[in-house]
Amino acid sequence: MSRFFTQGDSSSESSSSDEEELYSDNEAEQKSEAEESEEEEASEEEESSSSDEGGKSGASKFLREAASSDESEDEDKIHVVKSAKDKRLEELEGVVKIIDNAVKINDWSTIATEFDKLNRQVTKITTSDKAPKIYIKTISDLEDFMNETIAKQKVSTRKMNATNARGLNAMKQKIKRNNKDHQAEIDKFREDKFEYMMSEEEEDVVPVEKTKKSKAVYMEGIDIRDDEGFSTVGRGGKTLQYTPESILKQLRSIVESRGKKNTDRAEQIRVMEKLREVADTPYRTIRVLLTLISTRFDLTTGSTATFMSQDNWTSAEHEFADLLEELEANRNMVVLENAEEWEDDEKPPQPAAGETLKIPGSVVSVVERLDDELTRSLQHIDPHTAEYIDRLKDEQALYNNILRALLYVENLKKDAKLELTDDGANRVVMRRLEHVYFKPAQVVHVLEETAWKKVPSKFDSDITPRTNDADIDSLVQTLSTYLFKHSADIIRANAYLCQVYYFALHDQYYKARDMLLMSHLQEAIGNFPVKTQILFNRTLVQVGLCAFRANLIYESQNTLQEICGSGRQKELLAQGVMIQRYSQVTPEQERLERQRQLPFHMHINLELLECVYLTCSMLLEIPLLAHTGSSPDIKKRIISKTYRRLLEFHERQIFTGPPENTRDHVMQASRALAAGEWKKSAQLINDIKIWELMAEPEKIKAMLSARVQEEGLRTYLFTYAPFYDTLAVSTLASMFELSERKVAALVSKMISHEELAAALDQVNSAIIFRKGVELSRLQSLALTLSDKASGLIEANERTLEQRTQGTANAFERQGGQGGRGGRGGRGRGKGRGGGEGVIVADQGREEDSNLVAVHLVERSKLERSMFFIFLLLQRAT
Amino acid sequence: MTDNTPTSAEAILNDKSQSAPTEAALEYDLLPKLIPHLDRHLIFPLLEFLSGQEGDDGTEVTKTKYELLKSTNMTDYVAQLWQEINDSDEMPEEFLKRREEVLERLSLFTQETSQIDELLSDDSVVSNLRSDKVANLKFLETNHGVTVEMVNMLYDYGWFQYSCGSYANAAHLLDQFRILSTDNDKANSANWGKLASDILTTQWDVVMGEVNKVKEGIDTKLFNNPLAQLQHRTWLIHWSLFPFFNYEPARDQITELFFSPAFINTIQTNCPWILRYLAAAVITNRSRTRNTGQYQKQLKDLVRVVRQEGYEYHDPVTDFVTALYVDFDFEEAQKKLSDAEEVLKGDFFLSAAAEAFVEAARHLISESYCKIHQRIDIGDLSKRLGLEMEEGEKWIVNLIRDTRMDGKLDYKEGTVLMNHPANSVYQQVIERTKGSFFRTSVLSAAVAK
Repeated sequence: MSRFFTQGDSSSESSSSDEEELYSDNEAEQKSEAEESEEEEASEEEESSSSDEGGKSGASKFLREAASSDESEDEDKIHVVKSAKDKRLEELEGVVKIIDNAVKINDWSTIATEFDKLNRQVTKITTSDKAPKIYIKTISDLEDFMNETIAKQKVSTRKMNATNARGLNAMKQKIKRNNKDHQAEIDKFREDKFEYMMSEEEEDVVPVEKTKKSKAVYMEGIDIRDDEGFSTVGRGGKTLQYTPESILKQLRSIVESRGKKNTDRAEQIRVMEKLREVADTPYRTIRVLLTLISTRFDLTTGSTATFMSQDNWTSAEHEFADLLEELEANRNMVVLENAEEWEDDEKPPQPAAGETLKIPGSVVSVVERLDDELTRSLQHIDPHTAEYIDRLKDEQALYNNILRALLYVENLKKDAKLELTDDGANRVVMRRLEHVYFKPAQVVHVLEETAWKKVPSKFDSDITPRTNDADIDSLVQTLSTYLFKHSADIIRANAYLCQVYYFALHDQYYKARDMLLMSHLQEAIGNFPVKTQILFNRTLVQVGLCAFRANLIYESQNTLQEICGSGRQKELLAQGVMIQRYSQVTPEQERLERQRQLPFHMHINLELLECVYLTCSMLLEIPLLAHTGSSPDIKKRIISKTYRRLLEFHERQIFTGPPENTRDHVMQASRALAAGEWKKSAQLINDIKIWELMAEPEKIKAMLSARVQEEGLRTYLFTYAPFYDTLAVSTLASMFELSERKVAALVSKMISHEELAAALDQVNSAIIFRKGVELSRLQSLALTLSDKASGLIEANERTLEQRTQGTANAFERQGGQGGRGGRGGRGRGKGRGGGEGVIVADQGREEDSNLVAVHLVERSKLERSMFFIFLLLQRAT
Repeated sequence: MTDNTPTSAEAILNDKSQSAPTEAALEYDLLPKLIPHLDRHLIFPLLEFLSGQEGDDGTEVTKTKYELLKSTNMTDYVAQLWQEINDSDEMPEEFLKRREEVLERLSLFTQETSQIDELLSDDSVVSNLRSDKVANLKFLETNHGVTVEMVNMLYDYGWFQYSCGSYANAAHLLDQFRILSTDNDKANSANWGKLASDILTTQWDVVMGEVNKVKEGIDTKLFNNPLAQLQHRTWLIHWSLFPFFNYEPARDQITELFFSPAFINTIQTNCPWILRYLAAAVITNRSRTRNTGQYQKQLKDLVRVVRQEGYEYHDPVTDFVTALYVDFDFEEAQKKLSDAEEVLKGDFFLSAAAEAFVEAARHLISESYCKIHQRIDIGDLSKRLGLEMEEGEKWIVNLIRDTRMDGKLDYKEGTVLMNHPANSVYQQVIERTKGSFFRTSVLSAAVAK
């Protein structure tokens, strides 16, 4: 029992078991089993990530009651087993043997199941804190073996099969958790294995006297229930008599059995479907529907399936629609989250005229759950199959429901008496927005139209009036503006990002950019939950793509840099799990990450993204490379590391075949561009297939060709300027097929920005390159050195400033002024003032001054070497 | 008092001749954009200017004027407008009634404020006032029986006068009110009233002081309400256009104000059309500022902002800046310059500065043209600048002399040869290491002590 006491998941459990210590051992025994099943239930629940805390506690309460209440009846049925302890140990040993065998053949799935069994048995045997030695030995061995396997796993190339790998992962978790409890024992065991096994045999605690198969308890529990509530319902469904009066009772019992193991949920659903048919009042129907829907959701929770089956989902969806209809028809009944439960099953509550009857439940949660389940199933279905498309069709149905739920919630909000918060409406609006924001306007239009058709004409929404449905562009804006006004923090940020995303998707670059910048989200995004961060990344990428379509290469590259330059696009956009080579990811993290993945239809095409990013980088980097290429000592500015790396890799290849993928195309185009062959480069870029995915591929291609022409000209000038004295503008114009005026403008721009040492000759319309601008190696080194020297002085000043914080403000940049021009006099006066300030302020700075002094010595050395360089320069010229 | 007329455009512009607007000017007319940010009374001169331009067909404008002034207390003038519109000589009943009312109220106000007015014009009282407003009020209350109501009456009377169109009186009253009032909101609004009155009485010196006061008010009083700040700054920007182009000494100050981060942001977000005025101001400032460094900086800032906002706003003036400094397309710049000239002439604020603008713009074009070219055909350049050959030659000689550029004229060929000496490496190294010794000694002195 130790295991459950130490890590029981609710405090009430342990406290209640304390109280029950006065029960006989027998009772404790039964309880342990009951708890055990709970525990399992809980862990299952955890694994499927359902957060139904409330339901669980309710169910377990029932479970305990059931188990303890029929104690007396059980007593006479149970046989007293004589050699209980031995029998237990035998069983235990049997399990251990199976585990040993499984270990030998490396069968982790068996190990996992057997391990569970083992734990169960051990709790039966141990009543004190001590666990049997054989158990300790087994778990300790298992841990060793597991570590070994994992280590092997890392080295070996061969992959484990899926079930095995899953078993291993599960075991890793379990063992870690389990062994912590027995750590002391295990340590003892490891110290001296043999001795541990031999000694303290006598310490073995007296085992419990009575045993009972765990099955019995459940049977008993169910029987009891049958006696109480299900009297008319045979287990096999033989005597089926449902009366409207009994509905509430039956519902209660179903609710109470929730979360309990061995509950046949399918059976319950069948029962409820029947109940629904006989339900005569709206109140009963609503109650049945509410329970039915939540039970449907439960169906997935316990089972091994990772997502809800389509049938099940569809029925839930239909039932939800029915529920909404029922609620719309009966305005005097509302479903509220904080309503009080009606305790009396015998007679349904009769609301007084004009009063509203509150029924506990939550429309918003159900619709959210429906949405989540659909997303989950889309995550797991292979997107290239017909099944996926099939499922995707359900989105329309879901959207209808979201819309109707929204109408319903809005209606409730109007009722001032209910005092609803904005929360519910916000959540539904957010869901609606999430289904719309990433879709092109035409798709949204269809979605909206169909959804409104389903809504009876008498209902209308305040947030998005029906008349608006033709004006799709404003829908996203209306929704997000609503959220922005009414919600806070996370939902607000999400709504804002959705809107930016929508703008970017629809080629409204400036609007999107301005909004994104004005939100200042980029500064705070780190504090938001991962989901919002992903949305932010998606938005950023979409804005980048939008800039590209608008022929804003520089902006596009800048925007995409952070995401695409990282090399982790997949992970950042939640479009695939990265295989982590170095860091060990726990299964927990991995599971979370998988949960975050976006369904395929929401993906941003990664190949297109890469293509855009590389093309932009090419257009910016190639001229830059040509510009800096000739002078190796100038500090090199790198725009995109990723691109540089790819380019280097490409250049190292001995043989380059014809381009196969997008990357090859861009790389070969880069080389052509660098060599001045702009036509070939443009051709290569235009050959990329993936442009077809853009809205207007022809326009994009034309735009790119024009850009390549211009950048080609620039690159050409940078590369070949040293070899020319003069160059006719007309030659350049014909070479790059640009107008002379355009060439002149481009050259003027380069001259004016001092990128090119040349001047235009208007009379002959030629470019005259200036001589003697090319730096010799010595000269450029001298420049670098002078830069470094001033850098050092600045560093010194900064150091001093830091050490004498607050008082040294007289030092502020005065050095900089002095350095720039002959304003020494002023600077000196200031400097002296600064010096005095320093003395007055602080005296414990001896070591600091030493530190600065060291710098100064270095500096004087530097100055000397500068002097030499001057001499050399003079001699050279 | 009701027979006042609002300040006319001529009074503010002390004017040159007005030419009929061309199409380009009409296309880029900013009036509709400016109006929402100006006060009723401030709009009037703009309309007046418009009617002056349109010549005979002024009925539209007169109607607009009528609508504009209907709610003010300048009943006589309004009635006159009404007559003009309806082409009748008789005055409708309601105007007469309004007139009576206004006069009545006027006398009432005069009565009620006479006491405090006397007090404040009394030197012996004024000399006792100090900077502490609360103490002042108390002093007046105990010694002269002045109540808060009376002070507030001053404020109301000020507004009334303003509405009647007697701006000088309004300015005076509001000033007095500000001295005494402790009510921050009202004092603030009095600031605005004073500013408007001063603008309309063309007291530019005073206006500049008021602009600063209002600016400080915005910075200090509204610091926690960004939206209101934005709105107020937009107003201030628009209002200060009046002194901007009509009062020489104000130009530097206001250019600086517009370039300060808060205001340039306001312009960018809320009223990008102001860029026209800013561009015009910066360009015309060229010949006046001695400080070339500052001028270069302003020009750089301007180019940056114009470029950034290119997608939201452009007119011939900003297009000119873009063509010259972003695209380096001299032909385009020349074309835009002539467009810009038209636009400037048709603009209320800029019509006076049009010529100076064109002159300065020519300088800019030739300056950057010479920087980029080595050999220039004089004839071509003259054409580019829109000048005759002879004139062009003179112009270039002047330019070379003014800017101390290294250029020579080749008379036979009819060309200018520009010499662009390369920045020698030697020079560069000297530049970079110039102050290092001094900086080091300062540093070592600081450490040694």
